[in-house]
Parts: sequence; C-alpha cells; structure tokens
Amino acid sequence: MQASGDTRRPFWRSRWWMPLFSLALGAAMFTAFAIGDDVRQGVFSFGVMAALAALFFFGGRSETLRGIGGPGRDERWASIDMRASVFAGLVLMTAVIGAWLWEVANSDDGEPYMQLGALSGVAYIIAVGILRWRS
Amino acid sequence: MDVSRQTINSIEKERYTPSLPLAIALARFFDKQVEEVFHAGIG
Repeated sequence: MQASGDTRRPFWRSRWWMPLFSLALGAAMFTAFAIGDDVRQGVFSFGVMAALAALFFFGGRSETLRGIGGPGRDERWASIDMRASVFAGLVLMTAVIGAWLWEVANSDDGEPYMQLGALSGVAYIIAVGILRWRS
Repeated sequence: MDVSRQTINSIEKERYTPSLPLAIALARFFDKQVEEVFHAGIG
C-alpha cells in the first residue's frame, strides 16, 4: 500500500503534461520533416500537434480529455489506460504479423515487419521477466 | 482520496472495483469497516 498524506502530484498528472508532450512531439515531427526537405509537411504536422495540445489544455471538464491528458488520471484511469494500451498493442502486433506474412507470401523479404515482430516479442518476454521479478 | 467524481460513481454502480488502499480509504471516510462498505461478490 502507498503511504497516505503525500498530496504532491507527479508532473505527468498536471494539466501541462500532455500539452507540452504534444508540442514536443510536434517539434520532433517538424524537425524530422525539415531534415527530409519537406518543411511544408513539417509545419502541417506541428500544427496538428499544436491543435491537439490546445485541445488538452483548454479541454475543460471533459473526463476523457482530463483522463488522457493527466489531471483527471486516477487509479480507474490507470486501469483504463493499461487495458487500452494492451488492446492497441494486440492490434499492432496482429497487424505486424499479418503484414509480415503477406510480405513473405508475396516473395518479399518481410522487412521491416520481421524486425518489428521480433522486437515486440523480445520486449514482451523482457517485460514478463521484470514484472515477475518485481512482484 | 485523489479520485474523480466519475470514479466514485463507477464504484457505486459496481462498474469499477477499487484498489485495496482506496477501498480502505473509502471505508475510513464513512467510519466503517471495509466489509461493511464492499462485498466480495463471491459465494
């Protein structure tokens, strides 16, 4: 059980977390597109991420936005977040395996799906090992 | 207790099972034993 009485919230539960993360991701996307000589697409991507940041910052009392964004994140939201992440991971792994099978069946080398599938499998095994050791 | 109003509502409607620390905190809030506020849902 956690010690009670400590009311300090971690930064990732503040209303600044998701807007700043969105802006940082937008800046990274802009930089990547700019390096690839596609500044226009970079500006568009940054604009989308800035709009997302504004949505989270000015989202008001929406439980969904507050839960995803951080300030409304309590233990129920942590559970929702974990189950949603597991679902997204399963969808992604299924898509990667399906794409790899499709590539191989079409006489291609299966890259990069083979590496992505292997990465997810190794990550799962490592996570299971660490979580088992810690629990 | 650091949980949202919606989470309390979900617990009341038995859509969400609280963690043990939260269940204890809720029981203490109402000055009750945990088993007086929550049932195990088994048996």
